[in-house]
Amino acid sequence: MTFLTKTGLAAALLVGSVSAASAFTACQVTDTGGIDDAGFNQTAWKGVQDSIEEYGIEGRFLESQAEADYEANLNSLLGSCDVIVTVGFLMGDATAAAAAANPDQKYSIVDFAYDPTIPNVVGQVYATDQAAFLAGYLAAGMTETGVLGTFGGINIPPVTIFMDGFVHGANHYNSVHGTEVSVLGWNPESKEGLFTGNFDSLDDGRAFAQNLYDEGADIVLPVAGPVGLGSASLANELGTDELKIIGVDADQTQTDPDRAHVYLTSVLKRMDATVQAVIKAAMDDTFEGGLIVGTLENGGVGLAPFGAFEDAVPAELKAEIEEIRAAIIDGSLTIGG
Amino acid sequence: MDVELRGITKRFGPVVANDNVNMMIRGGEVLGLLGENGAGKSTMMNILSGLYSPDEGEILIDGKPVSFDGPGDGIAAGIGMVHQHFMLVPVFTVAENVVLGVEPTGPLGYLDLKKARAQVDAINKQYGLHVPADALIEDLPVGIQQRVEILKVLFREADVLILDEPTAVLTPQEVEEFFAIVNSLKEAGKAIVFITHKLHEILAISDRINVLRQGRITGEGDPKTLDEAKLAEMMVGRPVSFTVSKGAGTRGRVMLEMSDVIMLDVTDERLLDHVSLKVHSGEVVGVAGVQGNGQTELVEAITGLERVASGKIIFDGEDITHASVRDRHRRGMAHIPEDRHRDGMISPFTIAENMVLNSYYEPTYTRGMAIDWSAVQETAAKYCLDFDVRTPSVFLPAGNLSGGNQQKMVVARELERQTKLVVASQPTRGLDVGSIEYIHARLIDARDEGDGVLIVSSELDEIMGLADRILVMFEGRIVAEFDNTDGKADRNAVGLAMAGAHQGAAA
Amino acid sequence: MTDGKDLQKVNEDMRKLLARAAFGRGNFEDLFVVPVFAVVAALVLGALIMLATGVDLPTIGRSFVALAVGSAGSLNAVSETLTAAIPLVLAGLGLGLGFRAGLFNIGAEGQLLLGGTAAVVFTFSFPSLPFPILMLFGLLTGALVGAAYASIAGILKATTGAHEVITTIMLNLISIRLLEYILRQPYIQREGRADPVSKSVPDAGQLPRLLDWLDPNLRLHAGVFLMLLAVAFVWWLLFRSKIGFAFRASGANPDAARYAGMRSGLVIVAAMATAGALAGLAGAAQVQGVLGRASPGFSAQMGFDAIALALLGRSHPVGILFAGILFGGLEAGGRQMQVDAGVSIDLISIIQALIIVFIAAPLLVRAIFPWGFRKITKGGKA
Repeated sequence: MTFLTKTGLAAALLVGSVSAASAFTACQVTDTGGIDDAGFNQTAWKGVQDSIEEYGIEGRFLESQAEADYEANLNSLLGSCDVIVTVGFLMGDATAAAAAANPDQKYSIVDFAYDPTIPNVVGQVYATDQAAFLAGYLAAGMTETGVLGTFGGINIPPVTIFMDGFVHGANHYNSVHGTEVSVLGWNPESKEGLFTGNFDSLDDGRAFAQNLYDEGADIVLPVAGPVGLGSASLANELGTDELKIIGVDADQTQTDPDRAHVYLTSVLKRMDATVQAVIKAAMDDTFEGGLIVGTLENGGVGLAPFGAFEDAVPAELKAEIEEIRAAIIDGSLTIGG
Repeated sequence: MDVELRGITKRFGPVVANDNVNMMIRGGEVLGLLGENGAGKSTMMNILSGLYSPDEGEILIDGKPVSFDGPGDGIAAGIGMVHQHFMLVPVFTVAENVVLGVEPTGPLGYLDLKKARAQVDAINKQYGLHVPADALIEDLPVGIQQRVEILKVLFREADVLILDEPTAVLTPQEVEEFFAIVNSLKEAGKAIVFITHKLHEILAISDRINVLRQGRITGEGDPKTLDEAKLAEMMVGRPVSFTVSKGAGTRGRVMLEMSDVIMLDVTDERLLDHVSLKVHSGEVVGVAGVQGNGQTELVEAITGLERVASGKIIFDGEDITHASVRDRHRRGMAHIPEDRHRDGMISPFTIAENMVLNSYYEPTYTRGMAIDWSAVQETAAKYCLDFDVRTPSVFLPAGNLSGGNQQKMVVARELERQTKLVVASQPTRGLDVGSIEYIHARLIDARDEGDGVLIVSSELDEIMGLADRILVMFEGRIVAEFDNTDGKADRNAVGLAMAGAHQGAAA
Repeated sequence: MTDGKDLQKVNEDMRKLLARAAFGRGNFEDLFVVPVFAVVAALVLGALIMLATGVDLPTIGRSFVALAVGSAGSLNAVSETLTAAIPLVLAGLGLGLGFRAGLFNIGAEGQLLLGGTAAVVFTFSFPSLPFPILMLFGLLTGALVGAAYASIAGILKATTGAHEVITTIMLNLISIRLLEYILRQPYIQREGRADPVSKSVPDAGQLPRLLDWLDPNLRLHAGVFLMLLAVAFVWWLLFRSKIGFAFRASGANPDAARYAGMRSGLVIVAAMATAGALAGLAGAAQVQGVLGRASPGFSAQMGFDAIALALLGRSHPVGILFAGILFGGLEAGGRQMQVDAGVSIDLISIIQALIIVFIAAPLLVRAIFPWGFRKITKGGKA
């Protein structure tokens, strides 16, 4: 299904690019997860698609099959793209190298911040812990077993920042309500926890969620792109009374409509918004190397609607979450620690 | 049923395998087909069985022309082939093997083994084959397995049976029994084509003989008016000597001495049981025995391919019981292995490479870590000329050579070196008269140059003709010894010892 | 006997026996005609598959042009093709050598991973060594570690008879997990990173890029010389050296090799070690020439692709070189297909695989294009 639409889409794009070769072109290079990963590659690509719709530009993507492809894919887009967006922390080195070799080409990378910054690269990073904090608070308020679970793909900052916020949010709930909700799968102090070691095995997603469920968790936050789809199918089989899933990156009730009912909410990481902002800047000639940080305040991160659980979440809890959101934005509540 | 071949010609590229062959096969008659390896016998028979179609000529069955388009057509027309290499499933019973491919089935296609067994027994009785229908093939001796092959073609109602070198795998006693079966088939009106290169057998069993050489029929005749010498000349194209011309050897020092050698298999059964023997310089010792009585293991013990459990092996005064294969070879031991395809050569390798298979590392052929291929090739060419290995080039794969030339290649490799002891196992198995004559002469040459020669053969004629002294092996032991200077050993006594009659009377 | 005439005849006969056969039509067909027809057949079938998935004809045409241009149509294309070929050929040479010796070594992946990692660790451990020395020692370290790792399977087979297919597959699995562990060790993990990624290869340890003076994006590196040297070396080893003769004999007929006094245990361990050294070298060349670091899965399944490559090249060093260039070209051209025609990478993988299948099945190609070949007579010599 996705394969067909993808090919059709690519073909359609191609026809467009032939008819108006001189139009502004935004390009995206995916990491090994692929363009249809129901996660960050797909969300970032949505930013390009939105730009195509709103600004009438051209867009295209290249998928990487292996790490050795990153540099080559970046090179093969040279000369035909006005801005090249790379997706993923793992592409950090390749993007920096390409940027150094081609100082006139504009680049932007999702999930990577260079220190010091590179003049022709915009890093897009997200204060996902802010949104995940809200999710942790929500989950702690919703759990019946008093046990929450989380696991990640690889132990890298863009993944673990979700887990940090989730744990801190749950702890905050405990200190407010005097409960003892615990979170399995991540220790923010030692930076150790559960990781599948990949971003593509749905079987792992299922197995890890099963383990957490066996340990008593009734709400699980998988932070591993499409791996979480495996966890969702387990929740689908067990029933949402037994296990609920919190989605990541996009609102997964939209990206995974078949199992929309298992998602309590999703921790939004609005890469589409930041990607679109970078493209706009490049079009307007206001592009400047540096960093964009997505926060609750600027809408770069957020919490998705509660979907099937809209009525199940007590109004009281909803109000508390709104208060916390405001407190984080105005700085009166610092997360972490 | 009569089958006639008229003007059959078959070419493979430039090679003419059959050239205008005319042949008549009649029911109730044994036609002996004689020819050297590569004379075109197999092509001829493959045409008859439908595997090849002839380029020219026709096949007539009972006077009517037929055409065969595939391997199944021959047997459908009543022509059955018994191959030299059996095509049996070892873990199936006799009855299962016989019906394989034409299984009698009941309703809904279930396999009616009971019916199969009854049919097999009926054929058994009719021709006096005496094959147990329920025995597993792997439990049967080779001679009985061959009868299963015959059962297979009879079951398919063949009226013409083509027997391709059927006696090559049989002991003398088994050959007698086999001939009895052939005669009963003949009496039942079957037409038999008996392919062989063994002259005395063809004379003994045939009613008529055709000789094939280089694709052509070069002789035809009545066995009553022919003798071995005439047949051989027709087959080879020149007069052939049968008696190995050898003078008396000069027996010298002991080259090989085995004392009390025991070899065990994985279950601690004794493969070699207290074997002691001596081979002197200038002497040919022949080891006779029905295959599978420890001859293979004896050779493996001497050449170092298998370890012995106890006992001593002395080679020219030095203890080599624990020496490696290469070490023994280097000391001057030549080994002509019993199965040249398995052990003696590497078919896809060139003749040149095969010529140095066990001496490639010697300084003559090397420069530092590298092999000096031009030296190897020159040596190989010389060996080919010396030993009459017929090939257009030493760069051809050894597998392209005919069987006789392959064996001459192996013999050349082993005998061209400075040797002290030659261990030759089945040195002429499957070869034609011309090659046998040649290899025998070379083995005698080695003896006359002062080597000790140990020949292991299941062909009693070969042992009788070559050996100065004959040892008989039975069940892993040496059970008898005969002096054969001037060929004076009693053939019957040796045959009886091979069958185990001498048990306990070990020399 | 030895009068002049006889001697002359003997010399004449010798000369005939030593004359080499001319390059026959059969060889020509095998080496050139079959691959060409295989590519044609694969492209036609690939086009049909693309049509079936809704790609229109002009796009299919453009994508095939892109495949050709992207693999050989520009300096950058050639550079990419060769860059991709280097590690594949190196690992393929090792596997081909093993196949010649009768060893079905599946373990190139693991040997490559550990060899490459060792090369990275060595180079960043001795950053003070000057350029060619650090680079060469890095490569050497990779080769040695690859050889040592492969030897485990060799020794197990030689001493206990454990089948190398099983042991090398298991060693692959071990190497993958071991790599993840190694990359997390504080000495090896890059500072400030929580994910398993190693420190970088210092400049002096890198295989220098050959064409960066033309265009800094040309990735072709000095590993290409290493690759050609390795082809020559393996050819010499197999067809000229003593040990190579023993390798080939053991592979073609182990019984005959034993009969000839070759020590099978020694052959097995030596062949495995050589194969492992080449695979380790492939890993080292990849990290020192392209990646600059080690990370989990940096091998990108090259160790498995190399198996297909070795079989395609019929375990002959020159065949493996050409097969490697074909694989490299498909990789580079496939990328261009994605860029120019927007064809999905999955479809490209299918077409690449089809080309390989057709080349690997010459009989199939002969059956599809009967007019392109001399007729083969049924049967053979009697």
